[in-house]
Amino acid sequence: MSGSSLARVHLFPVRHHSPRSTAMLRAFLERVRPKVVLVEGPCDADPLVDVLVDAKTEPPIAILGYATEGEPRSALWPFAAYSPEWQALRWAAEHEVTARFIDVPVGVSLAHDRASEEHEGEPYEDEGEERGEHEARAEPRFDPHQAAAEARGLRGFEELWEACFEAPAYEPQQFREALLAHAALVREAHPVRWHRARDAFMAARIEAIVAGGEGVDGVDPERIVAVVGAAHAAAFVAGDVDPALLSTLPEARPAATTVIPYSFPRLAAQLGYGAGNRAPQYYQLAHEAGCDFRQATLRALLGFGAELRSRGFAASMADTIEAYRLARALADLRDKPEPGLDEVREACIATLCHGDAGPVDAFLWRGMLGHRVGRVAERIGKNSLQEEFWREVDERALPRDDEPTEVALLLREPRAVETSVFLHRLRVAGVPYASYQGTYKDRAVRRGEVDEAGGVDALGRMRESWMAQWTPSTDIALVERIALGSTLQQVTDQVLGQRLEEATGTADAASVLLEAVVTVCPRPAADAMRACDRLAATDDDLPSLARACMSLSGLVSYGSSRDVLMGGGSKATLDALCRKTFDRAVLRLRPACTGDDDAVAEIPRALQTLHDVALSQPGVDRDVWLRAAAELVEDYSIHPRAAGVATALLYLARHVSEDDVAIYVGQRLSDTLHPQAGAAYLEGFLQINAMVLVKNRAIVETLDAWVCEVEPETFRNILPLLRRVFGALGPTERRTFLENLINARGLGDRAAAAATVITTTDEAVLAEVSDDLDLALDDLDDLL
Amino acid sequence: MSAVIRLPAEQKYEAELAALARKDEGSRPPGWRLSPRAVATYILGAGKPVDGVAITPKFIGDASLVEVAIATLVSDRALMLVGEPGTAKSWLSEHLCAAISGDSSLIVQGTAGTSEDHIKYSWNYALLLAEGPTEKALVPSPILRAMEAGKFARFEEITRTPAEIQDALISLLSEKQVAVPELARIAAAQRGFNLIATANTRDRGVNEMSAALKRRFNFVTIPVVSDLRQEIEIVTKREAELRSDYQVEPTPPAELVAMLVTMFQELRAGVTKDRKTKVNPPSSVMSTAEAISVLFNSAILAQHFGDGAVGPKELARSLVGAVAKESAEDLKSLREYNETVAKGRDGLWKTFHAEARRILKAS
Repeated sequence: MSGSSLARVHLFPVRHHSPRSTAMLRAFLERVRPKVVLVEGPCDADPLVDVLVDAKTEPPIAILGYATEGEPRSALWPFAAYSPEWQALRWAAEHEVTARFIDVPVGVSLAHDRASEEHEGEPYEDEGEERGEHEARAEPRFDPHQAAAEARGLRGFEELWEACFEAPAYEPQQFREALLAHAALVREAHPVRWHRARDAFMAARIEAIVAGGEGVDGVDPERIVAVVGAAHAAAFVAGDVDPALLSTLPEARPAATTVIPYSFPRLAAQLGYGAGNRAPQYYQLAHEAGCDFRQATLRALLGFGAELRSRGFAASMADTIEAYRLARALADLRDKPEPGLDEVREACIATLCHGDAGPVDAFLWRGMLGHRVGRVAERIGKNSLQEEFWREVDERALPRDDEPTEVALLLREPRAVETSVFLHRLRVAGVPYASYQGTYKDRAVRRGEVDEAGGVDALGRMRESWMAQWTPSTDIALVERIALGSTLQQVTDQVLGQRLEEATGTADAASVLLEAVVTVCPRPAADAMRACDRLAATDDDLPSLARACMSLSGLVSYGSSRDVLMGGGSKATLDALCRKTFDRAVLRLRPACTGDDDAVAEIPRALQTLHDVALSQPGVDRDVWLRAAAELVEDYSIHPRAAGVATALLYLARHVSEDDVAIYVGQRLSDTLHPQAGAAYLEGFLQINAMVLVKNRAIVETLDAWVCEVEPETFRNILPLLRRVFGALGPTERRTFLENLINARGLGDRAAAAATVITTTDEAVLAEVSDDLDLALDDLDDLL
Repeated sequence: MSAVIRLPAEQKYEAELAALARKDEGSRPPGWRLSPRAVATYILGAGKPVDGVAITPKFIGDASLVEVAIATLVSDRALMLVGEPGTAKSWLSEHLCAAISGDSSLIVQGTAGTSEDHIKYSWNYALLLAEGPTEKALVPSPILRAMEAGKFARFEEITRTPAEIQDALISLLSEKQVAVPELARIAAAQRGFNLIATANTRDRGVNEMSAALKRRFNFVTIPVVSDLRQEIEIVTKREAELRSDYQVEPTPPAELVAMLVTMFQELRAGVTKDRKTKVNPPSSVMSTAEAISVLFNSAILAQHFGDGAVGPKELARSLVGAVAKESAEDLKSLREYNETVAKGRDGLWKTFHAEARRILKAS
């Protein structure tokens, strides 16, 4: 390849997202007046140029490149208004000259990302100057940028960049040379094969365009401006382009591109990847002020003052003026031409915040990152999912900002129900937008308990609280999900269908059914009901069956706020299914309760669930359950823990009298050959209801006798179990238990003391007595 | 060697200040002896000698804090240094005044008993009675003297002073003048006057400054040093200075300083450096200044009561004395620290553990 035409093309080095680069580039373009503008960016995104520069497109926006086959994967090329690449495209459009992207196609980048993930740890990494499309890579070990900053006594590269390139007023030519010199240094310290291969690709493409290829008529190289990252430009200038490296580029994956709105918070989050901004809003201010950083600083500080006042802090205009003066004095002291972000921060803390960095970190700095969200002209083919999403968001006045906003829904209103369905569909489809916060956000968050978004709980809800936030990943997900269907409902159908295929137990199928109801997807709902029926026939997993019963019973009794939308109809089928599943669960009761400790670990919960369903759901046969449970109580071949649970449940439901309970417990404990079994029975019982056990004098006596009779050797074996059993007792239960035990043992005076505890209200006496009780407790500890 | 126990900074570092002034090419704000950048160099130290004189760092830590402080003083805003006790606030204030005004001695110490007289002026009552109000009978406060001389005044521990007394500063700072009605004149501040105040965050809420007064200050918070290397550097350097001031001979070995600072940082943070063990922080102030004084105290013990070498034994003795200042609970924390953390460590820690255990048992 002849390097001659490459050398004759006007190269303009830039840093992505830099107001100064942008201003310099525009001045440079005005002077050179090129016929063709070439920009670093995926060359298969050329058709998107028109949309990018459309008058209705407002940055921040991003080119989204995504794989169309195989494993989903995407990459982003974000642009802010102050991104030189975007301004180059704009200039070209304004002057009606050709603009082209010249970097490797999206498919190659995606293949490279994948390869570099697989080779993690090898020297595959990008350097700071590069843009953020490669999100999953490790940080470089040696950072030439950091070294350069420290040499000048500054804290980091961002500060150095601001002081040396962003703030000083340059002539375009001067700027170009300064940046090239800086980039050459960095590049030498850090050659990366992938970037060198891209150098070769871009060089080849520039050559081809000069030669009249790529749909551009032959142009004099001197009428071409190429806008590339500083490191690439430095390579071109040094003539360090190795065409042999072209063969090292990975094979392109099938991919497509589109334009999506982007946001300032995301741009700031990209900082770690070298292509973001510390504070997009600040750079936006600088860009709007024509790179006057003094102006940007003043406007930032005025904004801080206003924000502080709106939050009830004292922040006078005099403070703001002082902050501005201080920022400038600081810049002066640091030998910087203009104040920058660090000065804004420090001046704000010293003046407006009275030395307290708290408010800055808590909320002021977010203002510097900004909330701006871009807009993409409608002519770009938004896919149907994006269309649907944005239409719904607009119609329902849902938040469209990149900032968490609460959405409260009252599900009595049909419109709110529709909104709820929309949000649940997004949730099931895996589109990040809104997260469920409980019925009342504040209450749930305060208690730290938010019930599951879907599930039985979702059916009976009267209100829902969501935290919604649009982020570019929302659009990314919408673009990626188009493979599953062209409407949100189709996507949800597909996702649920897939989950149904993967379902192995009745509970899984029932939960799909619930999700289908919550998201109003009749087809998966019908499928799920069939699957439930089919799976229940062979399901031996009692907990799974019990959970399914719970779900179905919930559906039967509450219906849901979605009834109108689902059109009813299947009510009878549902009733039948619920009854059938319940019967099957009861049938499998006995076999499920046999086995070792591990096998029955989940059984108590399942029994409780079935019991609840039996008592609350009129559609199922309650007597069948009661009979089955009563059999469990007297069954010595099942795991004693299950028997304990069954006894307690029946006692609670008043199907076993207190006297009977005493008898059952006595029976179980009388088996001195198997004290382990007795302990397990107790554990099961206490899990459901501890009070009855400790309240009943007869039972406590039996218990006491049992513990005393156990052989020391055996006692040691069952001790952990006993500790677990009695450790779970609450304070009241413990006290009652103690009192009964003391009485039973005739511990004399202390028993009287314990009795006073129960009856007395005098605190002084109580305090005295509690000492006695402590002693008694110690005694008990000795006993146990 | 002069007989004065402690020389003010402007005398002690006279050579450095003179060298900086000779080489100072930056523009000096009115009344300043050095340009702001030279002041920063004086405080933060210079990598290479200036005009043949090595500039030692006076403040080790975040340079940007010092820069904010200096940039504040360039204007007519007063400077407020806030921070935990023992974070070198007064130290920084002294050096700033020494570098900028060449005089760090115009101090008002804030106490509950500070009155407006201490801030403005009072009278020589014998003269006042004999001759009536005359210039001769007027006793100007350090602040008034600073105003008239165009120098920096210092107000230490301002929040120890009742808020209404503090407010006497408001008019003084905004009008830059003090009216002396008895003499029918106004004492006006000369260019070069400013005020550096310090306040202790542990006193927060005791005498909260009024919003009106706050507006006259820019605030710089001096953080507690949490970087081990940095704090070792500070302690070593400051302790060596103290020893040379007081002619104490024994030099503590570096390992001992590292152990002491580690101990302080762990007790302060309530958790060991490896984040594995929880420690009960004592209620007494475990500041860098306290660490310096403990170390210095050990050196004195070694010189006068020991064999002339500073070791874990001396350290343990002075540490127990320092920590136990506030309450017996603190001794408990120290004992617990000694038994859980110090016990498991090697080297000097072993001896320290044994010594501390003996002393703690006795106390």
